[in-house]
Amino acid sequence: MTASSLLRFAATVCAGLLAAGAFAADRSIVLQSTTSTANSGLYDHILPRFTDATGIQVHVVAVGTGQAIKNARNGDGDVLLVHAKSAEEAFVEEGYGVERFDVMYNDFVIVGPPGDPAAVAGMHDATAALGKIATSGAAFASRGDDSGTHKKEMALWRAAGVDPEADSGGWYRETGSGMGATLNVAVGMDAYALTDRGTWISFSNRGEHRVLVEGDDALFNQYGVILVDPERHRNVKAEDGQAFIDWILDDEGQAAIASYRLGGQQLFFPNAAP
Amino acid sequence: MLSETQRGLLGETRKLRYAVAGRPLIDGIDLTLSPGRLTVVMGPNGSGKSLLLRLLHGLLQPSSGEVLWDGSPPVERIRSKQAMVFQRPVLLRRSVAANLQFVMKLRGPANDEKLREMLAFVGLTAQADQPARLLSGGEQQRLALARALVLAPEVMLLDEPTASLDPASTAAIERIVAGAHDRGTKIIYVTHDLGQARRLADEVAFLNRGRLAEFTPAQEFFGNPRSECARDFLAGRLPGLRPEKPTTI
Repeated sequence: MTASSLLRFAATVCAGLLAAGAFAADRSIVLQSTTSTANSGLYDHILPRFTDATGIQVHVVAVGTGQAIKNARNGDGDVLLVHAKSAEEAFVEEGYGVERFDVMYNDFVIVGPPGDPAAVAGMHDATAALGKIATSGAAFASRGDDSGTHKKEMALWRAAGVDPEADSGGWYRETGSGMGATLNVAVGMDAYALTDRGTWISFSNRGEHRVLVEGDDALFNQYGVILVDPERHRNVKAEDGQAFIDWILDDEGQAAIASYRLGGQQLFFPNAAP
Repeated sequence: MLSETQRGLLGETRKLRYAVAGRPLIDGIDLTLSPGRLTVVMGPNGSGKSLLLRLLHGLLQPSSGEVLWDGSPPVERIRSKQAMVFQRPVLLRRSVAANLQFVMKLRGPANDEKLREMLAFVGLTAQADQPARLLSGGEQQRLALARALVLAPEVMLLDEPTASLDPASTAAIERIVAGAHDRGTKIIYVTHDLGQARRLADEVAFLNRGRLAEFTPAQEFFGNPRSECARDFLAGRLPGLRPEKPTTI
């Protein structure tokens, strides 16, 4: 190798390293998402695969769905992945998001104490079970945080014809916290709670609580993904955000979701449109 | 002595204790609740009356000790023979009749005849099709009683059901409770109202600071209370504010 070719080689290597450094530093997105997905361990499983494939880092902000949508409205984030379909559709219709896509689903379950004071074990009608819990006076721990889980819970209470907030602090306890903290309260005070199955399976402090009500269509829990509209917020990394959406909706992302298991159980079921 | 119509479970608590953060709120209560008697639970605020009721019904699990009904803890088989009525009942946002049908359907097909009979018993026949949430406070509580009674419980636990009602509504509730008792339902009734306790009680369990201070026939309790805290309570003296005996200088 001549001196000049050595210099050219060194320059090329330096340029490549600089480019790689710039690549590593710059290519990242912020994903506004939910505590239920983050607490379940799903992102720890799938995001390294996305980063390996694209070089794009994903920084997850895990809050309740309501807060995630608020954050995305404010332009704090590039992609939204949450679970409250009507709120997501409103987000797009109001011009904050480009388009909404179904990504995956799991389901909600009602967990409760071993004594099951409202006698709801084995019921498959979630609204009837909530009616029974309310009229029995048994304690119920609610997220109370405008999250997707809380929105679902309130919809179920409305269907049951119960206004639980009228008894806030009595049998109905709102924690204003995430799913893990709310489950801790439920276990601590022998209360019932609505949780997504993924968080329940990954939750370690279950005590003697167990799943008592499941299998109702009303407990279906659909997740959607949306690119925050770059025309509304100029700081949105549209290209990399869209790369994430393309990946998670494509075969590789969907397979990564399906392959995540905890204790041998699949927590999320991919259902993006082909 | 039980009459033929008196059914029921024999309730017992043994060294019953319920603590929060290590602080005992119910502290070592031994109690025998015989079928047929109308038991009134009294005591100052914070004495543990409502907690005791919830423990008896299995809504809370004891920290230690036990609650037994016919020798069994209040599991579903036992709770299905009980009903509980709260100070603020949770009524479903549907008609009066539909509220009753809801609980009846949970046990099997709704029975129209039983429904009509229960509405008449609590005096809500004319309101059967009205939305439950538009009822007055007294009517709502009567509906809550009907919802409990329509399941023909052997034991009914009531937690200050008349605490926020006017005298007329209170009298109506007392008539329904006394009627249920006459039909053989064991009643365990928490109240602050001395007059009401005198009218209803066969026996009084008096709690003070989580402990059972006295458990005696009603006549004896009101005529000659044994414990100092019960005497203070009946005399309207606030706990902890009893005047000290004058000291000689």
